[in-house]
Amino acid sequence: MASVDRKAWAASVGGLTYERAHAFGVDTLHRWRLDNGLTVLILVDTSAPVASYHTWFKVGSRHERPGKTGLAHLFEHLMFNETENLKAGTFDRKLEENGAETNAATWVDWTYYYESLPADRIKLAVTMEAERMARLVLREPQVASEKEVVANERRYRVDDDVEGAANELLYKAAFAEHPYGWPTIGWMQDIQGFTPEDCVAFYQTFYAPNNATVVVVGDVRERDLLVAIRDAYGQIPAQTIPPEDIVPEPPQLEAREHTIRKPTATEKLLIAFKGPALGDADHATLTVLSEVLFGGRASRLYKDLIVQGEMATDVRGWVSTFRDPGLFECWATARGGHTTEELQRVMEAAFAKARADVVDPDELARATARLELSLLQQLETIPGKAEQIGFYETVLGDPTRAFDRVEAYRRTTAGDLRRVARRYMVDRARTVVRVLPESGAAEAAQ
Amino acid sequence: MSAARKHAEPARYELPGGAKLLVESSHAVPLVSLVVALRNGCTMDPPGREGLSRIALRMLRRGCAGLSSEQIDFRIDVLGGEMAVDTSPSTVAIHAQVISRNLEAFVDLLARLFGAPTFPEDELARLKRETIAEIIEARDNDRVVAQKAMQRTLFEGHPYGRSASGTTASVDAIVRDDVVAFVRRYLVQGNVVVGLSGDVTGEHATALATKLVAALPAGPATVDEVTEPKALPGRRLLLVDKPDRTQTQILVGALGTAPHDADHVALVVANAVFGGTFTSRLMREVRSKRGWSYGASARTVVDRQRQAWIMWTFPAAEDAAPCLKLTLELMEAWVQDGVTAREVAFIQRYLVRSHAFDVDTAAKRLHQALDVELLGLPADYYSHWTDHVRAVNAAVASEAVRTRIHPADTLSVVVGTATQVLEPLRGAVSNLADARVVPFDLE
Repeated sequence: MASVDRKAWAASVGGLTYERAHAFGVDTLHRWRLDNGLTVLILVDTSAPVASYHTWFKVGSRHERPGKTGLAHLFEHLMFNETENLKAGTFDRKLEENGAETNAATWVDWTYYYESLPADRIKLAVTMEAERMARLVLREPQVASEKEVVANERRYRVDDDVEGAANELLYKAAFAEHPYGWPTIGWMQDIQGFTPEDCVAFYQTFYAPNNATVVVVGDVRERDLLVAIRDAYGQIPAQTIPPEDIVPEPPQLEAREHTIRKPTATEKLLIAFKGPALGDADHATLTVLSEVLFGGRASRLYKDLIVQGEMATDVRGWVSTFRDPGLFECWATARGGHTTEELQRVMEAAFAKARADVVDPDELARATARLELSLLQQLETIPGKAEQIGFYETVLGDPTRAFDRVEAYRRTTAGDLRRVARRYMVDRARTVVRVLPESGAAEAAQ
Repeated sequence: MSAARKHAEPARYELPGGAKLLVESSHAVPLVSLVVALRNGCTMDPPGREGLSRIALRMLRRGCAGLSSEQIDFRIDVLGGEMAVDTSPSTVAIHAQVISRNLEAFVDLLARLFGAPTFPEDELARLKRETIAEIIEARDNDRVVAQKAMQRTLFEGHPYGRSASGTTASVDAIVRDDVVAFVRRYLVQGNVVVGLSGDVTGEHATALATKLVAALPAGPATVDEVTEPKALPGRRLLLVDKPDRTQTQILVGALGTAPHDADHVALVVANAVFGGTFTSRLMREVRSKRGWSYGASARTVVDRQRQAWIMWTFPAAEDAAPCLKLTLELMEAWVQDGVTAREVAFIQRYLVRSHAFDVDTAAKRLHQALDVELLGLPADYYSHWTDHVRAVNAAVASEAVRTRIHPADTLSVVVGTATQVLEPLRGAVSNLADARVVPFDLE
């Protein structure tokens, strides 16, 4: 169906508008919008008789406030509970009965929900998602139960997890003003203090069609699906989404450092620099630099710390993929007997080299190839494609940016890498977290 | 119920020397996945040298004629590839993936690694040190600690109890002659199954796999001599003591199913009712009603011989004892009362309809075919999976549970802090025959 045909068809059925086509690799993604502001992105993929239905909301932990941290994530849990037309416990049951896998995730900038199911069941996903967007019921017993589940999740991912605890402290230390400083899962006392009224207010504020994007990838019939979406969501009114009240993080003017002790056998080091936002032109460049330094066995710091120095078991780098400027995280796990100071000396030497010298062409080619492989791996499955589309649409307003990034990686020069090293990897913009063993645990490593 | 689209099974080819090739083509994404699997697993690691099969296969990329370890790593990366070793009781394999435009060069590299490995002493020493450090580091992960304790204790005295990654002592004991002997004996044409999936035709895959296998010496397939494990009688509790745990990891294990059991699929279906989905009995009782654990599940492990059936929950420390008590009671009720027709009908709909996601990519279809070949599964295990599931009824499923799951012979492994949880846990397990405490850094 050509674009002109799609526009005409949309006008004939009413309630929705066709906006445009996007090239998505060798596929084409079509953008539609309902009259209430719901964005719908559809990519027909007939490689398997399955479909993935994602709903991305532009709400995450950045929309919370101190004392109510973790609300976006708790709310995500509650979205699987009771609605006006579905008794508690029915939501998952109905989807499972139809062969669906369903889950959700919350992070700093977004929350998304998905069903992956046999393609001939896609209308069930439409009905269920519209139902909980508009008619969720929030009662005390479910809120109380989910608070306990989330508290256990926090224990699992943070309190009893060395890396989780270190990462939480890193962001708290690095962000004094911006909401990225508090954990998406929330502080424990906040989790335990939530009321059903908190949840209702959150729902009514953020869970609106004009604050959401539906992404569908799979073996679907586009027109039938759109009519179903229009019928299911069309009566849900748009809401006035409050303007964000974010305080930008002020420039970091001095290095920060924290140390924690955990029941672990070995020391861990986390060094993070203030980094660019995902939409910043430097983000792709810094990602390539991270790959040069940390990506795989042939990376500089893997060789320095694990192969030659034998001081670490694990090294990783990651440039945060956030809407606002985040962090360039650099992690190393020491081997028994080695210290974070030793690791830091080696890492700082590598950072200094990145600032001083250009990367050679082989290293650049290696890093670029790895990043291309990584993107292709994310596009191997229908749910993977849907996730890439929803993520980039929600954070950057462009569902095909993953491909632009690969082009950006290929355009990156050695001079670009040195420039971003000089711009971002500066001491004053650095936050360090050291994890040391509690006494006794260190002996276990010997 | 809707019928999943029928698909042909991966194409099969015979290669020189008795090697087999399986190919599943799909040109959806320009990636090719490769698997080179051996017909033996870590159960064949010599006693005292646990972890050898994993070390030996990892050594293949640590040096070959004309290339150092560093050069090999670089070449894999610059081709847009990756390579890793996976070890299980019955098979060890190299899994690789590469951007399809570089497939030819990647296979050429693999052929060099297989055909002329050098096993440098310094690289082996380094790999051993790395591996020992990884074993120590894994102690940070409570779930891994629990799984290791379950495996070695449930299968005590049986090859399935051996650790795939080894222990610090067993890895330290491995010498170069062990590695060379392993590769000479097992990385031979007759013992290898090659799989390719993705952006490659059958014809091209055959040519590439032939090149790969030609780099190997001739040699026979391994014969698996592992016998059926025996259950240790009585209810046992093993507490893995780790300081300052706010949360526990609880695994309850028993012997489960073997793939050639007449009631194998019936037990898998019954287990799905009990703990296989988000709305299963376990999840409803432990998480939904009580909020005691973020997750609660039960699974049946499939291997050549009878393997484990394992329940998993991870409650806060103060809820560990009541959670364990509850899950044991739920298990007893499941065995005694079985499953209802309504439950079976529901789970059949789930299993049949969700089967589309077991086969929605070329790599998944290939891995199913590899499992059949390597684990000796019935030939129609996956190809007629939905038919097998549909053939189960509540009576058959309930009987399978009664026959195979024995609540009186279970092992409960808990990772937690002994001073806090040991006594409550002892009280939670009725008819407890044996309780032990081991440190978390035992391996």
